Amino acid sequence: MIAQQIINAVSLGGVYALLALGLAIVFSIVGLINFAHGELMTLTGYVLLAALIAGVPFPAAVLLAVICAAVGAVAMERLAFRPMRGASVTSLLLTSFAVSGLLKVIFQNGVSARPQAVAIPNWMTGAFSIGDFTIGVGPAISIVVSIVALIALEFFLKRTVTGTAMRAAAEDFDVVRLMGIPANRIIATAFLLSGLLAGLAAMLWVASRASVDPLMGFTPVLKAFIAAVVGGLGSLPGAVAGGFLLGVIEVLLQATLPAAIAPYRDAIVLSGVIAVLLIRPQGLIPAVRVQRS
Amino acid sequence: MAVMTMEQSTSRSILPAAFRTAGVDALAMIVAMVLAALAIYLFGNAAMQRVVTYAAIMLTAVLGLQIFSGNTGIVSFGHAAFVGLGAYATGILTMPAALQRTALRDLPQFLAGHEMSFFTALVVVLVLAMLVGLVTGIPLFRLSGSSASIATLALLIIVYTLLVAGREITRGSQPFYGVPREIGLWTAVGVAAMAIILARLFRETSFGLATRAAADDERGAAAVGVDHRVARLAAWVLGAVAAAAAGAMMAQFLGAFSPKDFYFDFGFTMLAMLIVGGMTSSLGAFAGVVVTVLVVEVVRRFEGGGVIFGLQMPVLFGLTQGVLAVAMILVIWRRPAGLFGDRELNLLRRPNAKMDPVKPATDVAPTRAAAGPISVDHLSRRYAGVVAVDDVTLSFEPDSITGIIGPNGAGKTTLLNMIAGDVMPSSGIVRIGAPVRQASAFRFARAGIARTFQNIRVFPRMTVLENVVVAARVVEPGLAAAEAAARRELARMGLERFADRPAASLAYGQRRRLEVARALALKPRFLLLDEPAAGMNAVETAELVSILAAVRSERRIGVILIEHDMRLVMNLCERIVVVDRGRVIADGAPAEVQNNPAVVAAYLGSRTARARQGNDVQ
Repeated sequence: MIAQQIINAVSLGGVYALLALGLAIVFSIVGLINFAHGELMTLTGYVLLAALIAGVPFPAAVLLAVICAAVGAVAMERLAFRPMRGASVTSLLLTSFAVSGLLKVIFQNGVSARPQAVAIPNWMTGAFSIGDFTIGVGPAISIVVSIVALIALEFFLKRTVTGTAMRAAAEDFDVVRLMGIPANRIIATAFLLSGLLAGLAAMLWVASRASVDPLMGFTPVLKAFIAAVVGGLGSLPGAVAGGFLLGVIEVLLQATLPAAIAPYRDAIVLSGVIAVLLIRPQGLIPAVRVQRS
Repeated sequence: MAVMTMEQSTSRSILPAAFRTAGVDALAMIVAMVLAALAIYLFGNAAMQRVVTYAAIMLTAVLGLQIFSGNTGIVSFGHAAFVGLGAYATGILTMPAALQRTALRDLPQFLAGHEMSFFTALVVVLVLAMLVGLVTGIPLFRLSGSSASIATLALLIIVYTLLVAGREITRGSQPFYGVPREIGLWTAVGVAAMAIILARLFRETSFGLATRAAADDERGAAAVGVDHRVARLAAWVLGAVAAAAAGAMMAQFLGAFSPKDFYFDFGFTMLAMLIVGGMTSSLGAFAGVVVTVLVVEVVRRFEGGGVIFGLQMPVLFGLTQGVLAVAMILVIWRRPAGLFGDRELNLLRRPNAKMDPVKPATDVAPTRAAAGPISVDHLSRRYAGVVAVDDVTLSFEPDSITGIIGPNGAGKTTLLNMIAGDVMPSSGIVRIGAPVRQASAFRFARAGIARTFQNIRVFPRMTVLENVVVAARVVEPGLAAAEAAARRELARMGLERFADRPAASLAYGQRRRLEVARALALKPRFLLLDEPAAGMNAVETAELVSILAAVRSERRIGVILIEHDMRLVMNLCERIVVVDRGRVIADGAPAEVQNNPAVVAAYLGSRTARARQGNDVQ
């Protein structure tokens, strides 16, 4: 029972970590908290739904949906944020906020305001046993996917030129540009990665709920914002740590809180988060940034 | 209101000019609002009256948001939560007792059966909002920028969760009903008028000035003694109070509502209204509400579908939200400062208006209780592997002028930053002749250590005068006195002509002089200048040198300056400290230092130094 809860906690934490990481990558490069990140999740869900209805085999549909999320993220950057290059952080934040609102309305009218069922293959909803433990296939996949994605991202950032440039850009974008690295490529890659991560997170989210609706991305991404801030805004390890921490705390509180207090869970978690920020305003693992006199 | 205007006319002479302008601006906006309401009241139907009432309520809420976000630059999602709290509190307090017994069976005793009138409830709600504002404002002491924005978002979620979960009090996610619908057009307009006055005047108060300065440049603000945390808290609490007042009216306006009416979409609407008009001014909030309410009224007619111009329109969900989003994006793209820019009406302030001649500040004595030298004792600062300042022990007398020179990367600025309380020493102590907590820039500034920065840190969106008033307000007893002192300092620096221009519009050399004027407005004992002549041409430099020399002899203050311009340093300074690789390698009169072999070695390389020494011996 406890093992089951821990697995649930880690799998939820993994989803939050992927989302928070996507937010952190973009924030570290352009200083934007992307409110429309949740709509990338929703987009992924709808693409999956459409592909399955069109008869595309499940693995191909998943692949297509995740690719669409990445393309969607890059398109969002091109259309909404590139014209704003050099604008204040506040303007960027508000633009993404407005883009998010607009996309929600488009989803509501273009598809449906009501949730649509997604046909998840049976094998994903089953469970398997190791010794005495029964482990759900869904949470297990979720954990594996999160860990693989994190390792792949680490590899990309550490071992490729673009990845190295991105790490440098997070500390000091101006100098990276002076080194002859095109700014557009760095920014587009940042959005591409954040889209990929949002797509993966959306798949895991849809797999555990078997439906999509226009507001699907809203709640998990709100949590991811908080996770990113607690971890240290713009810090990638911080985002992962914050995501897992938030997921674990949520599931554990859900399991342990008495029924009378359970509805207050989110308020308790977020108050705790704010208390953490009072002690460590830069987050658990602060981002490194240059400062000039 | 009437009392307010009377006071304004009778005490015109002692009111600071900024308040006079603000009062007239507020009055103009109120008159516009009252005239519009009167027109609707006389000629409009009930539906139109409801629209105007709604607009007045939203105006109150958006002004609350503007007081915080507009002045501090921190986008808040949390003000929707204050509107919600205000609405629920008013609902419970004003509900008829009989209805309350059926609608809220489990309501705790102390909340039940109050049946207050609207205004009694409003007073209670405002006090409540003040308390909640004080508690929820604490995180803002530590957070800034995007982190603070996300914290306000967390607040919104917390309040929403509480409203949904606290079923005994709020009926949870079910509609809360039975609130008497007694709010009339004129009550809403009256409360909105108060909010206008509050928002327009706040930006001119010392808190308003402090928050705006910190929003423009946090380090620059600390350097003139601004404690932005307290000011930010004040803006937060006042904003919360205005938002809760809007909530109180909203409760009686709607009669029935549920927590989701005060959640994300509502916060979005509030922000959109503010952004469209212009976030940084109360005029922007006013105009934004007017424009968006009109647009939404038109759009709403299309939302339900139907036949328009012979076309069958589908039912569109959330069309108003969509339109608001598009409006917001267009405004941010095309006019980032909002439709009405970042200016207030400023009816009393005319560009190029003849101003009374001001006597330049000359014999301003430092008003410090503290006295004595600055001394640093075994001061070191390490950054990761680099030792920027290495075991420096020095002291600087008041009424003296010292130059700190040294090659690039020698640690001069780090040393100056530590003396200014801006950087925490890794070890060692800075004493400034007053008991002040280490490394607290604004406390150092208040204790008489004023400074300028290598990369100028004026407040670009504030006027030239306001830039200096922010500093003067720290040492002067009132705003009127601060304004007078600021004008004198501007006159001293030859900038009085530009007083009402935004600081961003000044030329480079003028901005440097503005920064010096701002520092001097603190009436400091010590003035620290970090490369004051950097980027200036020969004429500007000469001008600066004469001003600095005059200021120093007039006011008998200690000046410490970092400079690469050797001619300036040698002409102006009585003492020169040479720093290389974090250590003091020479300290003495200009002539001595110039011939010191260690100094020559640091500047020209050791071989040149040896060669020169060899020549001297021969």
